[in-house]
Amino acid sequence: MQAFFQYTVEGLTIGAFYALVALGYTMVYGIIRLINFAHGDVFMVGAFIGWSVLVTLLGMHWAMAAAFLVALALALAGCGALGVVIDRVAYQPLLAAPRLSILITALGVSLALENGVLLLYGPGFLTYPHLISTAGFDIGGVEISWAQTAMFVISVVLMFALYLVVHRTYVGTAMRALAVDQDAARLMGIDVERIIQLTFFIGSVLAAAAGVMEGVYYTQISFFMGFLVGLRAFTAAVLGGIGNIPGAMAGGLLIGLLEAYSAGYLSSRWTDVFVFLVLIGVLVVKPTGLFGERVVERM
Amino acid sequence: MEDLPASRAVAGTALAALALGAGVLPFWASDYVLDVAITILTYGILGLGLNIVVGYAGLLDLGYAAFFAIGAYTTALLETHVHLGFWETLPPALALAALSGVVIGYPTLRLRSDYLAIVTLGFGEIVRIIATNLDITGGPNGIYGINPPVLFGVELSSPAQLYGLAWAFLVVVLLFTRRLATSRLGRAWLSIREDETAAEAIGVPTLRVKLLAYVMGALVGGFGGSLFAGRFGAIDPTGFTYLQSINVLIVVVLGGMGSTPGVLLGAVIVAGLPEALRFLELWREFGFAIGLIVLMLVRPQGLWPAPASRRVVLPEGDAGNLVFPGAGAARGEPLLAVASLTHEFGGVRAVSEVSLEVRRGEILSIIGPNGAGKTTVFNCLTGVIRPRAGDLRFRGRPIAGLPPHRVVALGLSRTFQGIRLFPNMPAYENVLVGMDPHHRVSLPGEIFRLPGTRRDASEHLALCRSLLRFVDLEGAAGQRAGDLSYGDQRRLEIARALGARPEILLLDEPAAGMNPTEKGELMALIRRIRDLGVTVVLIEHDMMLVMQVSDRVLVMDHGALISEGRPEEIQRDPRVIDAYLGIEEGEEAGAEPEEAALWRS
Repeated sequence: MQAFFQYTVEGLTIGAFYALVALGYTMVYGIIRLINFAHGDVFMVGAFIGWSVLVTLLGMHWAMAAAFLVALALALAGCGALGVVIDRVAYQPLLAAPRLSILITALGVSLALENGVLLLYGPGFLTYPHLISTAGFDIGGVEISWAQTAMFVISVVLMFALYLVVHRTYVGTAMRALAVDQDAARLMGIDVERIIQLTFFIGSVLAAAAGVMEGVYYTQISFFMGFLVGLRAFTAAVLGGIGNIPGAMAGGLLIGLLEAYSAGYLSSRWTDVFVFLVLIGVLVVKPTGLFGERVVERM
Repeated sequence: MEDLPASRAVAGTALAALALGAGVLPFWASDYVLDVAITILTYGILGLGLNIVVGYAGLLDLGYAAFFAIGAYTTALLETHVHLGFWETLPPALALAALSGVVIGYPTLRLRSDYLAIVTLGFGEIVRIIATNLDITGGPNGIYGINPPVLFGVELSSPAQLYGLAWAFLVVVLLFTRRLATSRLGRAWLSIREDETAAEAIGVPTLRVKLLAYVMGALVGGFGGSLFAGRFGAIDPTGFTYLQSINVLIVVVLGGMGSTPGVLLGAVIVAGLPEALRFLELWREFGFAIGLIVLMLVRPQGLWPAPASRRVVLPEGDAGNLVFPGAGAARGEPLLAVASLTHEFGGVRAVSEVSLEVRRGEILSIIGPNGAGKTTVFNCLTGVIRPRAGDLRFRGRPIAGLPPHRVVALGLSRTFQGIRLFPNMPAYENVLVGMDPHHRVSLPGEIFRLPGTRRDASEHLALCRSLLRFVDLEGAAGQRAGDLSYGDQRRLEIARALGARPEILLLDEPAAGMNPTEKGELMALIRRIRDLGVTVVLIEHDMMLVMQVSDRVLVMDHGALISEGRPEEIQRDPRVIDAYLGIEEGEEAGAEPEEAALWRS
């Protein structure tokens, strides 16, 4: 039983990362019905920006906390801008085109980001500066580190902030209107292009936050890290019901737990088989995902 | 049905030139060039296979490499463990691939199309992970020592021989997919890509058709996989990754979904461009990614999209081929009996205890204010909605709960309130899809072009021509349906519904948006349809049309039937006047004087 709770702690930590990335998938899907294949790579770029800034600043003997905050801020800003640029260059011109063509440019952007980072940083793993201790506390034999707690709390705070933006602000209302009917939203005076950009911006910022935290937590990053996390996060978004924000959060945590349990009780080699079988099982029983009833079907 | 001779000649010359070029390639090209050429051919095969799923049926598949892997591993395992020859491994490889098409297709049938992306991706990953982790598949090292294919005692192992073998495989796949595309099944795929709900409602068994798309795509993928195993003599899981699936998808979308030449061009680019970009060295992959984005931005439809309209000459059939099952039958016999039909939407009673009867040979109109429940009655009758309660019988047979395509096959077909044609298909193919329930031709017959099948197909085309002529659209047969004028689209929809040769035709607001001349023509058309022996039920707001054309009129209000009778009786019924106009007769000045005047005519 103690092992079970230990896996649960692990799962919730990874799951929080997945949830942050899944939000980007689900928000973009919600408003323009695009599976943004480049999103996992934006997460990866966030980790690399964070790494570069951290290494530079620590080389200049900055204090650790200050260096981390600056690195995080620059990663968020850089990825936010990257998200907007990707949207402007590769997606906006194709919004009226057949939906698969925009999917292919998304794949192209994904390949370009991966290979761009490969060219700049090389193919090997990079190691994040050692920022966190393994210290923590212990509840009935289950070890929880402060770092895990901090990661989880930061993720939950970001998700809650997003929830407030989407449900309590004008911009959020515009986003939800867009998700239901883009043309009607445009006719009501909403600047559709700007709202779409903003969605990419927010999604990319969340992904960057996850990227830097993943780098700090796991300490190793590579140009290919976006693929696996992107895949899991996308799975999480679908599991929760794609287009649904609370669904993405729940889906992320659930995928994290599934991963931790399958790695703990079975073998990490079979994790993806297990995760996908659960996903397919859920979709067969409930074709719109766990929280999918709020998704608007376009006829 | 075939392209005109002139364009065929051009296409034939181009093909001959290409064939000549491809044929002499082994005599001057280096082994490296041949190797690239074989890779292009393999991508061509896979692209044509995935094109069935993505291009024709419009279903997303991100795990196509799984079928490729299943074909390759089946051939490899049977050769190395059971010591079968290459050719003997083909049938089991194809069978297993097709079976896995069913396995992946079945659970996804009910899913919304976007969810297919992740489920198919997951399936692809599952297959790869299983191959990586099982002992029998050699784990991460894969299987080696697969013997090359032997043909007439010759081992096909040199690049030139394998090049020839790859061409042979591609030609088989080309023939197979081209014939599928022009088959009845191919048209059904296009129709569900265009509008799945409409396809089901006019008689296409959409679930089976979707499943067959996966199965056919899987067959071609497995075929390509066997070739792959025979070519390299060794396979390992890295050849069947998600990226491989993505590459094949790029082949299809970049080339032009649903377009055979487009897919082949896509294969040349996806397999050839990285080779051509070798001078970029480390920047090669990056350059490919940028090139991909730029090509998609410049040509969002793909480099060589499939044409949506074409010039066609439909064969002339017998003058009397427009025969409907109800022709010559005695009028007045009850065809359709509805008893206590009730349906609710989220607690709102849209239809409440409606009972009605449709008699053979009549023109029956259902009228009523907006929201009265008329379309809901249609949707219940045609199986689009399963009613909460009530008994629906067509010629004594219960039809409630049957899927729409079964209802159409029994003899009830319909049009839609908002036009729901298949816009990116030519007009005549819209009608051919409508004729689906009565098609006799078999798929093997169409693939192998059997004489009996060709005769049947020719008869179908002749009937299609007669139907188009009947609605005065013969000249527009090859035009893209979405390009037709509004009135033409309405009539094409009627021709499509008549294609099922129904006993009852349900028309949902056919006159909506028509001008008076068009309405006059529509009235004549409705009478001519009835004269063919087809019973007509229509929902309509245009009172002039209803009162002039109907034998009987039913009036609905707030989900209930409030009156029934001949047009002149309905006009005098105070309940109807109250429900419709909300005021006493004679006081209706102001609001809609024109309609009120028509009402009294």
